[in-house]
Parts: sequence; C-alpha cells; structure tokens
Amino acid sequence: MKQNTIFQVVAIIAAGIILALVANAFASRDRKVSLVGTYPNALKVPARETAVASAPVPSVTQTVATTTQPATITLPPTATTATQPTATAAIETVGLNPAAKTPAAPAPTTTTTLHAQPPTREFTVHPDKPYIEIAFNDVKSLHDKNVLFLDARRTSVYEQGHIAGARTYSVWESDIDDKVQKLFAERSDTAAQNLPIVIYCSGGDCEDSHMLAQKLWGIQFNNVYVYKDGFPDWQQHGAPVHTGANP
Amino acid sequence: MKRYLAHPWLTIRVQLALGAIFVIAAIPKIADPPSFAHMIYNYRLVPASLINISALVMPWVELLAGLALILGVWKAAARNVIGILLAIFIIAISINLFRDNAIDCGCFNVADRGKTHEQRIFDMKVDVVRDLGMLLMAAQLWWAGRREQDAIP
Repeated sequence: MKQNTIFQVVAIIAAGIILALVANAFASRDRKVSLVGTYPNALKVPARETAVASAPVPSVTQTVATTTQPATITLPPTATTATQPTATAAIETVGLNPAAKTPAAPAPTTTTTLHAQPPTREFTVHPDKPYIEIAFNDVKSLHDKNVLFLDARRTSVYEQGHIAGARTYSVWESDIDDKVQKLFAERSDTAAQNLPIVIYCSGGDCEDSHMLAQKLWGIQFNNVYVYKDGFPDWQQHGAPVHTGANP
Repeated sequence: MKRYLAHPWLTIRVQLALGAIFVIAAIPKIADPPSFAHMIYNYRLVPASLINISALVMPWVELLAGLALILGVWKAAARNVIGILLAIFIIAISINLFRDNAIDCGCFNVADRGKTHEQRIFDMKVDVVRDLGMLLMAAQLWWAGRREQDAIP
C-alpha cells in the first residue's frame, strides 16, 4: 500500500470515529449506547439449548407435587453479603448509594380473569446465585402479588407491548446504569432488596434478562427471577399486556 | 481474460455496486446502534469493552468507504477498507460456524428475526459465500487499479 493510500485509510477510519461519536452524542435515549459496555459473557459461547435443558430443575418438580397453597413470599430477616461475588465493572459504575431512601416498591395494578395453576416454589432470597429461572405459573403468581417486573428488551419493543406493570430496563441502552442506580436508591434497605424481582425478555435464546439479573445481583438484589420463556409465553397465556411507554 | 477482468466497463460497475452495498448495509446499523451492539455481542469474539465502540464506529466507516467508491474518490483506500472489513466478517462468521454458535450476522438488518438454530446456521453459510463474492469484487477493483497504474508510463 502506498503511503498516500495509508493516509487515506486512516482518514476514513478517523472520520468514521468522529461521525460515530457525534451521532451518538445527539442520539435519542433509546438509540444511544455507552461508549464502554460491560457484558460479562462477551467471549463465552452459550451452550446450545436442548429440550432437556429447558426442563424444570428437580427441586421445582418436587415442590410441584407437594404445593397446594399459593406460595408465600418469604423474606429472611437478615441477608448477608458475604457470599456476594465481586461486582463487575458494569456494576461498579452503578455505584452503591449510601443515602438510605424510602423504598418504593412499584405496585402495578392489574386485573385478570386467568386461573393460573398454583405456583411451584417459595420465592426466598438466593444470595448464592444471580437469578432463578421460572415458568409462567410462578411468574403469574408473582405478578398477582404486585411484584416488580422489569422488561429487559429494547424500549421500542417494550412500547409495542409488555407485561402489565413492567418497567423498561433495556440492557443495550445507555441509561441502563442510571436506571439500576435509581432502583437501588428506591430499595436501599436490605428488606426491600430481598423483595422478589422478575425480569423477562423475548424468551428462547434471549439473554438480556440474564444480563440484567447479573447487574442487579452485583448490587445486593438477592431475589431475582428470570421468566425463562419471556414475553411471547406471557402473550400465549393471554395474561395482561400493556402497550405504550408507561408500565 | 486479464484484459476483460480489468476493463473499465466492468470496473466502474463493480465499484458502484460494492459502494452501494456498503452504504445500504451501513444505514440500519447507524440508525440503531444498540441493536448492532447486540449483534456484535452475539459473535462472542469482541471483548466487552470494545463492543459498543465497534457498533458505533464500524457502520460509519462502512458508509464512508461505500460513498467514496460511489463517488470515485480515494478509491484505493476505500477498496482496501472494504476488503479488510469483508475479511473480518468472513473470519468472524466462519469461527462461529465452526463453534456451532448460530447468530444473525447483522450484515444488512439488525432486528432479531427469531430464527431457529438451523435457519441461522444455513444463513451464516450463505453470508460467508456472499461475503466471499464481495471480496472478489474488491479484488477485481484492486486488480484493475494495479493494471491502471502499470499502464502509466
């Protein structure tokens, strides 16, 4: 390559960088990305899902056989952070707000005519793992108890339809860390942090909800559940759906 | 044969077509960087800290290189940039084919199309063949440019 061509190649790339930064600076909230993202599994190839893998874990099955009453949301009086893993860089950027504020658990009010089957588990804290995957019956049970739901899909998709009461928390948009920080501020005391949170995305091989769960786990949210089959499954069951930008 | 391959009639058409392809490919990525970042993430080849910046910069470089080819300015540089990008795409898709990691390539569309594993694997093979074809187009431009230089006394 001649020297002149090398200069032109560098000029094209430099112009591309400048245009990209300017465009991102002026992009709307849902089109903007943070310059440095934090994705824990960026280099890890996901295991291919099989029918066996999607089956419920044995402990859940066992509980199904014995559960006849609706599950209760039980909160242990103390929650230790000793088993909490080192927070990732993404979580560090969120920060821990020392100023305790009044926890404000969202209370999306929904009415439904569905008759969901009894839930299969008690939703106790699990500080040893970032999330537990649950299926529709458990999700519906938690929804009926006005538990906080977070939608990890893109905001534009959220606005087309989401679980009634869910908040938009897209992990791919630039304001995700601000939203997580705000949630932490809302639930700054241990009791509030141990309340269940359900996260969902599009089901299938969608990992956005798992990524968001990892973020929340890193800042002491120890009772996070991932709706494994996601919004398509919710729709298939005819459960309540809202459209638009509001929960 | 060599004379026909480097003929200006063919060269100008290849140049316009390759430039147009890259401009068309860049637009949806520029319009929706978060979705393109998601596509890059799915390749599982780019370190986390470089995913977003790649999603921002790469489409603009594609656009500028494509426009340069269409307008006929800095042709050699634009051709080289496009050739390098195509080589990267081919290698990245091939690695994921080898790993059986089914992905949407994010080449012309950054929306999640909800395909099955088998559909994605098939599409990835098609993408590699298509990118190889475009790499041949870039090679034709390089060949024609070299003959053009050699003809200058």
